[in-house]
This record gives sequence, C-alpha cells and structure tokens, in this order.
Amino acid sequence: MTENKNPDREALDRLADALVDDILNTSDEDMLAEFREGHGDPGHHADKMRALFEKSVLTANKQRLAAARAGAAASRTRSSEATPPIDIAEARRRLRAVLDAPDAPKELTLAARKESELSDADVLGMLEDLRELGVLPPDDDSDGKP
Amino acid sequence: MSGQVAAIRSRDEIESAIRAFTDADWARLHKVAHAIARYYAFLRRIEPEDLLQEALLRALDTRNCPAHVDVVKFLAEAMRSIAHGELEKARSGPVVVSAASSDERQAAFLNYPDPSISAEEEMIDRQNAAAIRRTILALFDDDPQAWVIVEGIMEDLSAAELREMSGLDETAYDSKRRLIRRRIIKEYPEGWKP
Repeated sequence: MTENKNPDREALDRLADALVDDILNTSDEDMLAEFREGHGDPGHHADKMRALFEKSVLTANKQRLAAARAGAAASRTRSSEATPPIDIAEARRRLRAVLDAPDAPKELTLAARKESELSDADVLGMLEDLRELGVLPPDDDSDGKP
Repeated sequence: MSGQVAAIRSRDEIESAIRAFTDADWARLHKVAHAIARYYAFLRRIEPEDLLQEALLRALDTRNCPAHVDVVKFLAEAMRSIAHGELEKARSGPVVVSAASSDERQAAFLNYPDPSISAEEEMIDRQNAAAIRRTILALFDDDPQAWVIVEGIMEDLSAAELREMSGLDETAYDSKRRLIRRRIIKEYPEGWKP
C-alpha cells in the first residue's frame, strides 16, 4: 500500500493488500454471515449506505456547480467579453501538460501526480494557482476554454 | 498494445451500478474500508466511513472508472489511494496551498519537509513495522500452516506457492486465509500499531 524502502513496512503492505483482496473475493453468502456476526443486520446497514450514497450524489452535484461558478467568475474577471463554458477535459489536458513538462517543479508533480483523481474544482483551482505563480505560460491562460 | 483507449464509465453508469449494489456489496465495502483504515492507523487515524464516502465522491466526480472494472473493486482501490494520499501528507511531503499573491502563501507553496524530522520518523516507522510484523507472526505460533501463509504473503509468494508450502488444497487454503484475516482484525481493532 505504500512506496518506501522499509522491508518490514513493504511486507506489511503486502499483507494488508492481501486481506483486502480476501474481502473482495469472499462469496456474498460468507460476507453476509460474517457481517451478521460482527455488525448486525446487513440489510439495515445497506439501507444506511444507500442513503449515504444519495447524499454523496448531492454533494458531488454541489461541487460541480461550485466549480462551474468559480470558472465563470474567474472568466468574468479576466474579460468583459462573453466567454463560452469551461471545457474541463481541455483544462485537465493543460494541467497534465504543465505537470509533465521536464522543467516542472518537483513539488508540483508530487502534489498533483494523479491528475485523474483531482476533482474538476481542484483542476481549475490548481490552474489558477499555477497562473498566479507564473508557472503557467503567459499566453496559455484560457483554463480549458476554447 | 492496440492503442485503443479503455472505455470509461459515465457518471450515470457509475450511479446506476452503485444503486444496484446488493447488501453483500455494501457489507464488503464496509469491511474493506475498516481494513484499510486499520492498516493506515499506524501513522494517521482515518475514519472508515469518511474513507468510503470520499471514494464514492471521487467515483462520481473524477469519472475514471474503466468499464471493465467492477465498481466495488474500483471503490476499494479508490479507498486505498485516498488512504495512501493521507499517508503521504502525514509523511510531511511538500506543502501545497492555494497560492495567492502574498509572499507567505507562496513560501508555503514551495515549503519542503524538514529532512531531520523525516529521518527520525523513518527510523520510528522502521522500528514500528518490524514490531508489528513480529507480533502478527506470533499470532500464528500455534498454527504452522497459517504462519507459513502469513510469512509467505509478506515475502510476496504466489497463491500456488503458498498452497504448496502449507500443504493445503484450494478449499482448505481459502478457509485458512479467512481465519488469518479474522485473527488479525481481532488483534488490531483500533489499527495496526505496535
């Protein structure tokens, strides 16, 4: 689970991964029986988790809305002209290009190595930060807007 | 390599897949979240529920779940990744903040960890990991087959090698793996700490 040169920690990483794999490979029947033993009614638990998931859907929707608003607000401050909607795929490509550049600061690549796991709001925020730091090329300031 | 890009599930597809989870799927994710949180507790306390919720949000928001990957497994991997990210933060990686124009925030953006602290933490982690490894193996002093399997997993042996070394057939081996998991979980309800 971790990347280091500590042989005992690496050994424990492998064991922890194996335990998770075992859980994933346990049959439904055994998993339900095991859950009942330690945690009670799996149906009740599943209902709670389904409610949690619906809450997560709402939260994700709010985050997307906030990202869209932030992008729109940022574009308004840069230009009084009407601007098209943000192309988040283009914004991600632009961030990836900055991070992959051979002269990219190491601390940036460490912080955002997994661009694909950043939320849309994170990507837009990071591009904004990079522009303010002068890392983003001066002529490359459209944040994914065509 | 065919050069083709793997198909990615759309957000609607992910939502539909999760809404179709069975009680067993949710029980499995609960167990995975607890297992991961317990393991990473050696450095930072992570709440299993928070871990699962963050994984759900990530699945919805980043939409990078390949179509051929089971969504339960994808969420399990997401939880591992999130916990690992927390670990990296706790190991005092470079600090990244939202950079504004002030010098202090820019300095924080470029902050490097203190190498002397990292070296000390690394030494403590080595000692702790060695102690936990010994303790876990000692849990199976009364069960030589389980001991061999646990040590073999830690030494990165394959399942076939583990079955051969323990002398167990597939069914008995699976049963032994379950016993191993349950015994370790029982020993470390609050996390793998020395």
